[in-house]
Amino acid sequence: MVKNGWMMGRTVRRVPRAVGLGLLSLSGLAGAMTAAWASSAAAPQTEPVSFEKQVRPLLLARCAACHGEKLQRNGFRADLRTALLDGGDAGAAVHPGDSAHSPLIDRVVSKDPKKRMPPSGAALTEPEVDLLRRWVDQGASGPEDRVPAIRKTVSHWSFQPIRLAQPPSVRLKTWPQNPIDSFVLAELEKRGIRPSPPADRVTLIRRLSLDLTGLPPTPEDVDAFLADRRPGANERLVDRLLSSPHYGERWARRWLDLARYADSNGFTIDSARSVWRYRDWVIGALNRDLPFDQFTIEQLAGDMLPSATPDQVIATGFHRNTQINEEGGTDKEQFRVESVVDRVNTTGATWLGLTLGCAQCHTHKYDPITQKEYYQFFAFLNNQDEPTLSFPEPEQAKQRAALAGELKAARARLAALEKDPEAGRKAWEELARRQAGWSWSVLKPREFSSAEGTSLRAMDDGSLLAAEPVPDNDDYLVVGEATGRVSALRLEALTDPSLPRSGPGFARGNFLLTEVEVSARIPGQTRSRRLELAAASADHSQTDFGVGMAVDGDPKTGWAINVEPGQGSLNTARTAIFNFKTPVDLPAGSSLEVRLIHRHVNRRYQLGRFRLSLGDVPAREAAVLLKPDAVAALKLPENRRTAAQKKLLVAEFSRTDPQRGMLAAEVARLDARDKEIEKSIPSTLVLKELPAPRETHLMIRGDFLRKGVRVYPDVPAALPALRGAPAAPTRLDLARWLVSPENPLTPRVTVNRIWQALFGTGLVETENDFGTQGTPPSHPALLDWLAATFRESGQSSNRHACGWSQKKLLRLIVTSATYRQSSQHRPELKQIDPNNRLLARQSRFRLEAEAIRDTGLAACGLLSRKVGGPSVYPPQPANLDLFSQTKKNWVPSQGEDRFRRGMYTFHWRSNPYVMFATFDAPNALAACTRRSRSNTPLGALMLANDQTFVEMAQALADKTLKEGGTDDEQRIRYAFRRALSRSPESHEAGRLLNYLKGQEAAFRNDAAGAAAVSPRDLPAGVDRATGAAWTSVARVLINLDEFITRE
Amino acid sequence: MHPELENALIRTRRHFFKDCGVGLGRVALAGLLAEDAPAVARGGDDLLTNPMAPKPTHKPARAKRVIYMHMAGGPSQLELFDNKPKLRDLHGQAPPNAFVEGKRFAFLKPDARLLGGAREFVRHGRSGAEISDLLPHLGAIADDICLIRSMSTDVFNHGPAKMFMQSGSAQFGRPSIGAWVTYGLGSEAQDLPGFVVLQSGPRGPRGGTPLWGSGFLPTTYQGVPFLPGAQPIVNLSSPNGYNGARQREFFETVRDLNQGRLGVVGDPEIATRISAYEIAARMQTSAPELMDFGQESAATLEMYGADPRTPSFGLNCLLARRLVERGVRFVQLWHTDWDHHGGAGADLGKPLEQVCRETDRPAAALVRDLKNRGLLEDTIVIWGGEFGRTPMGEPRETTGRDHHIEAFTMWAAGGGFKAGATVGKTDELGYSVVENKVHVHDFHATLMHLLGMEHTRLTFRFQGRDYRLTDVAGEVLPFLLA
Repeated sequence: MVKNGWMMGRTVRRVPRAVGLGLLSLSGLAGAMTAAWASSAAAPQTEPVSFEKQVRPLLLARCAACHGEKLQRNGFRADLRTALLDGGDAGAAVHPGDSAHSPLIDRVVSKDPKKRMPPSGAALTEPEVDLLRRWVDQGASGPEDRVPAIRKTVSHWSFQPIRLAQPPSVRLKTWPQNPIDSFVLAELEKRGIRPSPPADRVTLIRRLSLDLTGLPPTPEDVDAFLADRRPGANERLVDRLLSSPHYGERWARRWLDLARYADSNGFTIDSARSVWRYRDWVIGALNRDLPFDQFTIEQLAGDMLPSATPDQVIATGFHRNTQINEEGGTDKEQFRVESVVDRVNTTGATWLGLTLGCAQCHTHKYDPITQKEYYQFFAFLNNQDEPTLSFPEPEQAKQRAALAGELKAARARLAALEKDPEAGRKAWEELARRQAGWSWSVLKPREFSSAEGTSLRAMDDGSLLAAEPVPDNDDYLVVGEATGRVSALRLEALTDPSLPRSGPGFARGNFLLTEVEVSARIPGQTRSRRLELAAASADHSQTDFGVGMAVDGDPKTGWAINVEPGQGSLNTARTAIFNFKTPVDLPAGSSLEVRLIHRHVNRRYQLGRFRLSLGDVPAREAAVLLKPDAVAALKLPENRRTAAQKKLLVAEFSRTDPQRGMLAAEVARLDARDKEIEKSIPSTLVLKELPAPRETHLMIRGDFLRKGVRVYPDVPAALPALRGAPAAPTRLDLARWLVSPENPLTPRVTVNRIWQALFGTGLVETENDFGTQGTPPSHPALLDWLAATFRESGQSSNRHACGWSQKKLLRLIVTSATYRQSSQHRPELKQIDPNNRLLARQSRFRLEAEAIRDTGLAACGLLSRKVGGPSVYPPQPANLDLFSQTKKNWVPSQGEDRFRRGMYTFHWRSNPYVMFATFDAPNALAACTRRSRSNTPLGALMLANDQTFVEMAQALADKTLKEGGTDDEQRIRYAFRRALSRSPESHEAGRLLNYLKGQEAAFRNDAAGAAAVSPRDLPAGVDRATGAAWTSVARVLINLDEFITRE
Repeated sequence: MHPELENALIRTRRHFFKDCGVGLGRVALAGLLAEDAPAVARGGDDLLTNPMAPKPTHKPARAKRVIYMHMAGGPSQLELFDNKPKLRDLHGQAPPNAFVEGKRFAFLKPDARLLGGAREFVRHGRSGAEISDLLPHLGAIADDICLIRSMSTDVFNHGPAKMFMQSGSAQFGRPSIGAWVTYGLGSEAQDLPGFVVLQSGPRGPRGGTPLWGSGFLPTTYQGVPFLPGAQPIVNLSSPNGYNGARQREFFETVRDLNQGRLGVVGDPEIATRISAYEIAARMQTSAPELMDFGQESAATLEMYGADPRTPSFGLNCLLARRLVERGVRFVQLWHTDWDHHGGAGADLGKPLEQVCRETDRPAAALVRDLKNRGLLEDTIVIWGGEFGRTPMGEPRETTGRDHHIEAFTMWAAGGGFKAGATVGKTDELGYSVVENKVHVHDFHATLMHLLGMEHTRLTFRFQGRDYRLTDVAGEVLPFLLA
């Protein structure tokens, strides 16, 4: 890193240079000097210079007009010693002991008129310069006064406290529904303009549905609203929409624009990331109407709240939506700093409506924010670790809690059993002895074959011996005669000298039996009957390859027999018994088919020699399969067993005791289930405050390598101070300050953005710039009334007070007469108010990208209404990732995930979903406070030709033919209402009918075309040509301007 | 047109600039509208309903269109353009202190040694331009190009450096040159996008979409990637079952119903939508003609080394010519795999030879072809990477060079760039520019100048600041101009 010269501030210490100016040359220059200076001029050079008496008066006289208490050009104040040492945007002005490298001296002696200070008036005289030089070279001593943070008073409107004005009185008393309307109407009346009539009720319900939930109303919703003639119908509708889970989705998407939410890291590599828990948090928070102050605090500093909940930590994902550069050869610190810069700018744009970013490299040119203040703000956001954490989803937490309880109980039962080695022993011996007496009859192979070509040979003992060619996998089928009652199948895996290491399997003796299937062929029945296997036991199973896995229906698991040290030889005959779920009585002439399936990814793991037998054992009694030695020992009375035999029986007991086995299996099952859930817990990106804050320095010209003066967290002086003046303010203090009652910007900026969403333009047109370069509000008193009303709590005298509830604020605005006006353009206002700033009508504007998709899916009945979860991949044209460095994973989702709302579509920053990019969805590279509404040929091509929209048209045609009545007029009305909510005018219906007839005729002569276009599954009596013609009609409807417009 | 509607349409145009941006281009708007006025007076319907309609320039333009060939990864100027015998003499020695002290590199370690170039250089043409034998075809058109050996940039990681080269800012998300140019000038191609992006090489460029993004400018101005094959634009072909006549009936029905609605609500945005659908329909018919390489002679295909059936840089160069012939304003070509750090598949031997082979002939053919057709005069062709490569070698298994920002070479041809010139000079080891430095901002300023725009006047107000392609810097450099 560069460590050069004066940029490093006071770390540079040099020997004071010899002062070379002759004093004599100074005589007679007293004219411009202050008295204090004059008195010191005659003093010998070595005499210490006094900052207070000599230097400060000079600086006050010549510099302080621009760099003093009132004004600090370029963030620089020259009248205090500490301020000189700290410097301004360009770094320290004075390096004690080193006048040669102190910019203060450089600037006052410069011959370059652009550099020289002071910029106007006479240059400093040589004695004045010399005084400064000597003071610097003597070490620039003086008082250590703190540079006071001056609370600047700024006259700009947005920095003033919010005033709750009384709604003005108006002449048209019947019009206002609430105070909003009085403010708007008063302005209209001043100009003699009448407001527009209210929108018709169909337009209104469509407008409200789109604005509040992002989805169009169904025709049934429209009918219900039209039928509701009681007073308050409108309010009831609004309340219904606000309580819909889709409300949270709609408004979350708007917030996610600010949060620059994406599912990938950005920059060049652009890997996928998992942060959708944050997206879902926003949806949930809005749906439960988390007050905006809390909404703010949790996102900016939820991790720092006392005993923060997982939800509050997930909320801090807001500032983890920065890009991450994974390219090789990068300087980590550089990109960490860039992400903090992004956080500062995003915070400024989102809450303050200020262009803080303009002060990153130099003091803000227009707004009262110095560069130093920028880095003080930066310091709040510079102290975080950036962990990835996993929090179970509520359902997962519930399941795991339940599992933990079950596991504990099962483990306790098992432990209790193991505490007493003799418990159950007697019963077990009984059982084992009895089972030793079970009789088995060999299933003599009448037919046998292998699916993949293994050669099988029947042996004299009723077994089959396999031989080359041995393929990678194979299934053996054995059929033998069987009659009478059968309830279990025994499989003996046998050794044979012809097998590798004598078998019993081909894999150095091992095998992996993935599944066993048994069916019965009963005379008189055409199909063989599958006999389900309920349980399995074996005299030995390899760890993790228990015999039960051969009957679990999962071809990826199975029974194998390798041994661990001390378990004897792998190449040993083994036995397994499979109990039928229900015993079967086979009439004479029946036979049994047994299929031994080996389909593991491990190759050549087939059985080598094996024999099958059938038996009738007590139903559902698990077999206790003992080693032959143990069976012999068991047959002896207890007092005749040798010590070795006793030991063997104890071992066999603990191995095969069914009670223990069941319990152990239960523990294993619960444990596996818990691990499975644990593995599926989604991770998310969050903030975590460092135990000790990073040192923050001003970065000269915004360059992270050029450190200026050290700064500490604080808010800009032009805004209210932090509450309680904390000694070491933190991110949490910043978050609380943003929503403190003193802060005038947050509520103004927030209500303005909400207004923008509902009217197309904010009351302040420059929604991202409330500074001096922004536009002033069109209705200042209304903006303040809304801001105050939004923030004030219910205890205030304002009966509309929302207490930071966004739902209450929205309800207030959308039930106003102003909002309800018709959006029809009014020719008489074109000259007076071309941009509708006076709000004499509502606005008419194109829907956002996601809302276009959602509206289409809702209209045609395909929309999935599932809320939240991992992002999905709806189909899109192929090859679009040719244009980014890494191949993007875009396997189209199946099932309902193809038809999820647009906001759940996976967003790759380097390769966004093409339909969204075409309709101006933000790129998530920086906070987006307002979207474009382009109107381009590429958008037209998308709606007209994209497969997704063609499928929507087909689905709408399908629905229309099935539910839209029987004649064409009814059907046109049905489809029209599904798409546009209103009924068609007669000329519209006529035009569509005409089109329909033409299409029908055309498709009738084009069977291939009709088949491609028509919905697949047509009602009786409708042919493909008609089906295709209706797809054409539906396609026209979803391509209309009105369809993608909120009127 | 009905006078009232016409009025409304003029406002749409204004509305477009005012409302469609994320921020509000009020100051920019004032400038643009002032210059729009004469065009509006000329009464072009297109201008009213189509933001891509051609717009007047600030001053007389030398060039009308740009083909920018971005060689992604950073070609080595020391192997291709900047012959340094002294570097060969000092091969293997430690570099001077000034090369490493306080400098930052992507991968180089302080122990890196100087790496002499192993390529032969040849003088070409009347101008005697010195070009490596890896680029024989370029050598053959040396008298048509301006070789700029004194480029310098600010950032040394691929992604940010590409953004810097294409947008004047290392931040992702600023408008790219093509977006600025079409925002300022519109496009003469009304049936094709005004800003087209083509890609070849083993992968897409690092950074993806933001490299041709419109940033805070209206999205109308973002580059449109052309996919390989006969249907270059997404959704250009009619859905299955909608042949020509049926698609036309579809468009007509949509138009009639939209027009009816326009009459009811009077929103000029509907007129714009009607126009957008008309242009879309025209695009559907004109693009197949564009992609019909059968119209090209065998000699032309041979000259470009292009096979119409196989995607390649050569085919893209030919397509670029066809695009500018049809009035497209800005074509951005990406060819990836110039990142020669050393190591398997990425050294300055065969891998460099291969990428030169892929690009040399087509790039030269493009210049020659444009010249033959009289298009080079007002078409700017640019060739270059996001940075160059260090005089020090990077010690991987086989040798390569690291990213270098202080001096590298690009070339430009046509449209008022000085032909047959070698501009700028680096020190004898090729580390720093010692004469006629061309910073990226200067290059952009000069490019805008040739297109008839003042780079300081083409601005857009976003978040309280008037942004421009050249940030707060950039000078038009006369020594680059013919």
